[in-house]
Amino acid sequence: MFAQVLFSGLALGSIYGLVALGFAVVFKATDVFNFAQGMFVVCGAFFAVTAISLLGLPFPLAIAAIIATSAALGVVIHVLLIQPLAGRPMLSVIMLTIALSIVLRALIEILYGPQGRTLATPLPAGIFLIGGVRISQLHLIAALVSWACMAGFGAFFKFTSVGLLMRATADNHEAALVSGVNVNMMNRLAWAIGSVLAGIGGLFLGQLQIVSTELESIGLLALPAVVIGGMQSIPGAIIGGLLVGLIEQFAASYISPKSSDILIYVLLMLILMFRPWGLFGQRELGRV
Amino acid sequence: MKAKHSASTPTSGQTGSVSVPSSFVGKFSVALALAGFSMGAMAQFEAPADGVYKDRIDWGVMMDLSGPASASQGIWATGFQAYMRKLNETGGVNGRKINVLAEDSRFNPAQDKINYEKLVGQTPVLGISGMGSSSSQVSLAPTIRSGKIPIVGTYTSTKPLSEPVSPLVYGGFCGYPQMAQTGVGYYAEQLKLKAPKVMVVSIESAGGVEYAQMVAAAAAKLGGTSSLVTMKITAADVTPQVLEIIAQKPDFITIYGVPNTAILTMKAMQQYGLKIPAFGISYLLSPQIYAAMGPEAGANYNVVSCFTPGGTDQAPGNREMVAAADKYNHGAIKEDINYVAGWAVGQMAAEAIAKTGAEPTRAKLVESMNKGFSVDTKGLAAPITFTTDNHTGPVAFRMIGYDFGAKKYKPFGEFADYLKYTK
Repeated sequence: MFAQVLFSGLALGSIYGLVALGFAVVFKATDVFNFAQGMFVVCGAFFAVTAISLLGLPFPLAIAAIIATSAALGVVIHVLLIQPLAGRPMLSVIMLTIALSIVLRALIEILYGPQGRTLATPLPAGIFLIGGVRISQLHLIAALVSWACMAGFGAFFKFTSVGLLMRATADNHEAALVSGVNVNMMNRLAWAIGSVLAGIGGLFLGQLQIVSTELESIGLLALPAVVIGGMQSIPGAIIGGLLVGLIEQFAASYISPKSSDILIYVLLMLILMFRPWGLFGQRELGRV
Repeated sequence: MKAKHSASTPTSGQTGSVSVPSSFVGKFSVALALAGFSMGAMAQFEAPADGVYKDRIDWGVMMDLSGPASASQGIWATGFQAYMRKLNETGGVNGRKINVLAEDSRFNPAQDKINYEKLVGQTPVLGISGMGSSSSQVSLAPTIRSGKIPIVGTYTSTKPLSEPVSPLVYGGFCGYPQMAQTGVGYYAEQLKLKAPKVMVVSIESAGGVEYAQMVAAAAAKLGGTSSLVTMKITAADVTPQVLEIIAQKPDFITIYGVPNTAILTMKAMQQYGLKIPAFGISYLLSPQIYAAMGPEAGANYNVVSCFTPGGTDQAPGNREMVAAADKYNHGAIKEDINYVAGWAVGQMAAEAIAKTGAEPTRAKLVESMNKGFSVDTKGLAAPITFTTDNHTGPVAFRMIGYDFGAKKYKPFGEFADYLKYTK
């Protein structure tokens, strides 16, 4: 049982980590605590429904369409809503992202109706056995894709010039601006990446579940994940996601499903109290 | 259905050039005047404080139309409005159109309280249907039960609102005790079990615990046992729950919750190679749920239901509903159990209003309903009968599965075949 729960926790945590990574990228680059990240997951799931079920696009083309529309969503939101609020207090931006999530939910329910949609993809849904542990192919693919995305974006930030510029912008907006970096472009890119990662999470969660606006609450588990891991830390978001997935599954198995909320959010409170920069974040020191 | 679907309006005759005896003209004129007076008086009757006007009756609906339960309750409201629309197209009830005032609760008891007060006083209605939040029902129960406005056709049933029987509250959806008794009895019989071992898979909620107790009682009646495993309403993986099912080895399971509860459970059981028969509560019957499960997992899943979804059979009530749904562009949701339930409660409300007569008021409606009335849904459900002592609503059930080849529901037997389980 332990190995089985461990696998399901890691698989689920990988999806949380993917969504949390998007959250961390946006926060690191733009200092925006994006409460609409859960709705980006929902949008990704509905983009998938549109591309696969409604338009009947071939699966590879549908994936490309989901990524493109998710990226466009992030860019549009940054240009229309976030950029004009540059320099305003963080509370204004937080309120904006909360309002945005409400607007997106209502829009989706108007466009697609209130009932949930089924997402049928050609991804395998069977299982295989490894040493007595039943491995769900879909969970495994979700985990592998999540890890591939994390590795890909990790490499992007570390080894590409655009990634370097994004990191520079995230570290110090003013210095990047003075150095001739197009800060707005970098921020747009960060929002696009955040939205794409959430969209991919939505694709998998939509297939594991039914596609509805209720996926938002699962997407929002990225928030404790990213706080626990460290809001400025890319690896921290990933580890935070895995931790949340593992806590959820082990708590449900050995205590009760409800207890997972207690464990996750008590951990979040402890982190905020004793290590507010997260498990993998860097403590900010300032001279007085 | 006893509601009159045609409006009566006073008319005046004109003799023209035809010669008729003067005595006849006199008697005819007096008769016409009397008829005109009485008809006029009927058409003139108004009780605005009760939502009754010359040409229309305002009727309230309180459901979650944009919140977490809107996916099911919104469809219910659409089904209710569709029935009223069809009724109005044929003249309404006793010459008055039914004007539905749908208030959005957002699954929030505080909002429901505001909505209720609004429908009582600000935009008064003759009666209210729906009330889909059990929390709202519990918190509003004292107010409703001591009020003057009837709740006709509740979407869910809670003890504080419905027990003891109140002349102001009438059930409109499948009752949980009957669901538990029918489901457990049917599966025990089909699987030839002398002491069934049942497992309830439920979301973590008060309703789930209550349902589990009802299942336990039904299983105990047959000499069996029951256990409960819960999951979060927003679960994305139910591995722990399925491992518990494997450990418990039940003969069959019953599922209480939201569509996701049934989908995840059945899909996960399939992944673990479990072929344990399962039945869901009535709310968990929709083509989307079966489509999400897929043929292999869905083959083991049935739903115990007091309503027959659109297109499942050729009963007159079903054909009538399907025709209206197609006409109103509701074709995509006519197979949803919530649409049927909303439609049936529309029939219930119309019947109750019709029975009150030409001058309806809240007091008269309550008095008339409390004497008892029946609703013939023409096969959408077994006849629904309310008596002074029993306001349960639909009590006859049957098991419904899904034929993936034909992409249609397949009912197992008739409602009457299942009455033995609830006696």
